[in-house]
Amino acid sequence: MTDAQPKKFAFFPGCLIPVRYPQMEAAIRKTLPKVGVEIVDLPGFTCCPDPIYFKSYDKLAWLTVAARNLAVAEEAGLNLFTICSGCTATLSETYQQLNTNKNLKDEVNERLARVGREYKGTSTIRHVATVVRDEVGVEAVAASVVRPLEGLRVAIHYGCHLLKPSHIMKVDDPDDPHILDDLVAALGATPVRHDEWILCCGKACKHETAPSEMMYELLKSVAAAKADVLGVVCPSCFNEFDLGQLRLAREHDDESLKTPAVYYFQLLGLAQGLTLEDVGLHRHKVKAPALEKYAAAAV
Amino acid sequence: MPPKKNNDEKRLEPTVTLDFEFKKQLEKIVDGTLVNYCYQCGACVGDCPSARYVEGFNPREIMLKVLYGFAEELVGPASPVWYCTNCYNCYERCPQNVKPVEIIIAVKNLMARRGIYPEKAQVGDLVDMVLETGRTAPVTAMTTKLREELGLPPLEAVDTDELKKILE
Repeated sequence: MTDAQPKKFAFFPGCLIPVRYPQMEAAIRKTLPKVGVEIVDLPGFTCCPDPIYFKSYDKLAWLTVAARNLAVAEEAGLNLFTICSGCTATLSETYQQLNTNKNLKDEVNERLARVGREYKGTSTIRHVATVVRDEVGVEAVAASVVRPLEGLRVAIHYGCHLLKPSHIMKVDDPDDPHILDDLVAALGATPVRHDEWILCCGKACKHETAPSEMMYELLKSVAAAKADVLGVVCPSCFNEFDLGQLRLAREHDDESLKTPAVYYFQLLGLAQGLTLEDVGLHRHKVKAPALEKYAAAAV
Repeated sequence: MPPKKNNDEKRLEPTVTLDFEFKKQLEKIVDGTLVNYCYQCGACVGDCPSARYVEGFNPREIMLKVLYGFAEELVGPASPVWYCTNCYNCYERCPQNVKPVEIIIAVKNLMARRGIYPEKAQVGDLVDMVLETGRTAPVTAMTTKLREELGLPPLEAVDTDELKKILE
C-alpha cells in the first residue's frame, strides 16, 4: 500500500520454519538487516493456512483464514514478506482471488465481520527471495558479502509454489527462472542447474512409491552435476530432501545421493560472516562439510 | 425361459453411473465451474510429474471424468486425486484457464464435505491441528531448545478464538 515505508515489511513467519526449522528464521533475522530490510513482527497471525491439506479440506475456509492474516497486516499499514513458498502461495492466491472476485470477497468479509475485521486487499505479499532481489537488489546483496563462497557449487531447487501460477506469483519465468541463480552468484558461489532442476519435490503426492522415485531422480541429477549443496527456499522441499535423502541413500546403498539441503539465507549468513552455529547448519541431519572451510575463513 | 438378449439390448445395459448431483455440488466450490471450458487438448499432461511417475494418472482424464460426472471413480477409495503433487504445471499450461489442479482440489473439498477422504490424505489431522493450535506443526521441547540456541524468542501460543468464529 502506498503509505507503507519502503524496505519495511511485516514478517509472516508461518508454521514449519519457526517450529521445525528455526535455523531458517534465525538466518532471515540475522541477514536482512544487513541489506537494509526492516523486519516488523506483528501479533495475531495464524497458519497461512497451508495450500495443500487445509485447502483440500475447504477452499472457502482456506481463503477466509488467509484473508484474516492479510487483514492483520493491512491494519498495521504494511506489506508482507513470507519465508516459505507455501505461505507465499496461500496468501498470494488469496490476494488475487479476492481482489478480482467481489462476490468471494464479500462472502469472506461476512465471516471476518464476526471478529471485527475486514479484508481490503491493500497489503501485498512477497517471498523474501523476491524482496531481496527487487527491494534490495543483487548488487547490494553482493556488497554485504564479507566471505565470498568461492568455489561452492549450489544446485538450484526452485520448487513449485515460489513460481507458479506465474500470473499470480509474479516472480519469474517458471520455465527459465533466474532469481535463485542470481542470488547464489551474488554470494560468490556457483549456481548449478542440473537435469531435474525444475522437478517438484513430490511432498504433496500421496502415492506409495512415486514421491520416492521423483526424489531419487532429482538427487541423482544433483549428484551428477557435482553439487556441494542443494539450495532451497521452501521448508517443505527442505523437509522432503533432508529426511528423504538419508532414506534413499540407505535403500539404494548410494552415499552420493546425499547432497545437503540448505536454505538460501543460511548461505547468505555464512557469506556475511556468520558462523555455522549462528545459522543452525550444525543441526542439519545431512552435514555439509563443504561449508566448513568457509565458516573457518577469517572475516 | 427368459428371452435371449441380443447385442443391441446388451449395449443398453448401464455400465457407468453419471452423478449430476456431484457436478452441481462441485460447481459451488471456488473455481469449480472452470472445468466446463476444458476441450480435452491434453496440455496438462506433458509436464505433470504425477503423470510421469504414477501409472495411470492423467489430469486430462480426470477433467473428462468430472465433465461426464463419473463421480464413483473420482470420490471412491481408489480416487486418483490424492496423487496430484499440487505443482501447478497444469494451471500454467492450460490454454482455457481451467486450472486443472483447482478442479482436483475442488473434488477433494467435495470428499471432505462428504467425510470420505482417505486417511493417507492427512487432511483431517492437519485441519484439526490448525483449529486447535493455530499452527500445522506442534511446538515441542526441541522447538524451544533450538530457538534458544539460535537466540530466537520462544514461540507463544496462537490465539485461536478468531479462527473458530470465522470457520463456524
